[in-house]
Amino acid sequence: MNNKKTETADMKAAEMQTAETQTAEAKTTAPGFSTEKFNRGTHRIGRITSLITLIMLVGAPFLIGLYLGAMPDLSAAAKGFLAVGLVWTVSSVVEFLVYTPMLGSGGGYLAFITGNLINMKIPCAMNARDIAGTKAGTTENEIVSTLSIATSSLVTIGILALGVLMLQPLQPILQSETLAPAFANVVPALFGAMAYQYYRRDLKLAVIPLAVMTLLFILVPSLQSQTSIMILPSGALSIVLAWMEYRRNKKRNDSEAAQPAEKDDLNGDD
Amino acid sequence: MLQKLNSPFMYALCGGIILFVAIVCIIFLVRSYRAGKAMGMDPAVLKRTIVSSATFSVLPAVGILLGVIALSGSLGTPWPWLRLSVIGALHYETQVAEAASEAVGIGKLSITHMTSSAFATIALLMSVCIMWGMILSILFNKRYTARMSAGGRKKKSALGFGDKAMTAMFIGLVSAYVGSYIGGWISGDGVFTFGGDTTPLIVAIVSACAMAVFTYFSEKKNARWLENFSVAGSMLIGMAAAVLLG
Repeated sequence: MNNKKTETADMKAAEMQTAETQTAEAKTTAPGFSTEKFNRGTHRIGRITSLITLIMLVGAPFLIGLYLGAMPDLSAAAKGFLAVGLVWTVSSVVEFLVYTPMLGSGGGYLAFITGNLINMKIPCAMNARDIAGTKAGTTENEIVSTLSIATSSLVTIGILALGVLMLQPLQPILQSETLAPAFANVVPALFGAMAYQYYRRDLKLAVIPLAVMTLLFILVPSLQSQTSIMILPSGALSIVLAWMEYRRNKKRNDSEAAQPAEKDDLNGDD
Repeated sequence: MLQKLNSPFMYALCGGIILFVAIVCIIFLVRSYRAGKAMGMDPAVLKRTIVSSATFSVLPAVGILLGVIALSGSLGTPWPWLRLSVIGALHYETQVAEAASEAVGIGKLSITHMTSSAFATIALLMSVCIMWGMILSILFNKRYTARMSAGGRKKKSALGFGDKAMTAMFIGLVSAYVGSYIGGWISGDGVFTFGGDTTPLIVAIVSACAMAVFTYFSEKKNARWLENFSVAGSMLIGMAAAVLLG
């Protein structure tokens, strides 16, 4: 009953917010400008350019295969996808659901084409929104976040192009035998940094997956050449543990919230 | 092999795709600027947005460049340049490349074992694994943004477990790899012989310590700009440890 009331209140609030937004936009919008037309154009350009980028990115490995004289091994790619791709598919769906409303339609299309969302595009767009003082869901915000992501992407592209150009004279050093162990250990270096980053967020949750995985790799050493296959069971175990904790906390919070209400009822009866 | 991966063909192919994406960015930029002006927004606000976004992006972009350097030894320069300029992120690219190397049977991600077919497969898997954001945008961006502007508050609460699930998933992913480094040391040369390779474990520990130092300064000493370099910087420090270990 209470839930229904809250839901209705939420919907009313959302409707009021939308109406306020539309009124505010109507006040600021110049007579010659059509928000609907602008949005339609954004979706058309966004869809076409996303599709072309997608085709180019998936097509590039085959072109490289033609150039190198060996095509991609599709069964190995499928095996790799089952091992690691599913994790990133789930992550992509969550990113799409969470970030698209923050960025608006134009910003959303651009951000998913240009990447580097968490470490760059999202904070950059949020920063621009704060500076411009726009509110989420408005056309002004849509424009500011698109400007921000487009600028950020162009700066990244420019700096990386310059950097790559300057890397050319350094190629012999980068390919030297002395530096070979460094490049052979890129992955452990990444996972060390990520371990600190994620374990500190929820150390309690990390204990069981890390212990189970360590034990497995100790008892079955042959698994070490197929570490990526173990990502799925390890990820599933962590999510189940997190879900159990989430349910436990929710139940505790619900019962804590119910207790004062019961006390109030009793006081009211008196 | 590295010579082929750094050939003019590779630069032209990757550079061409990057150029296309740069043009897309310019189209969106000009269109939004014009629309902002047409709907009566202050041009000074629009210019400030552009300038602040440009300055905001410089440091993270240098951090991303360090990522290109980190991957250039095993995948050549053009491919990481494309992946990190356009669609990917350092942590994603490295993990997928490693998983793909295992799937094609060359073991760890390294230029010494790289073959033409292995590289083409790795490149394909890197493209396929992260294309879902774009596909979802093509299919659902229009409907989703329209629905969110009509009743966004309800959706937000439905994603309550989403954040926790993301963290849990990454904890699981990291645990698989850290577990393999510990297992590799303890049983790499036979179960419980403690004679396996210690380098990956030491590199991971050094990298984690470097990350802790970066985090300490960025959070406690208010040096937020350091966050832009934390992952790439920690990786390079970890990799430097590997050079010292030989």
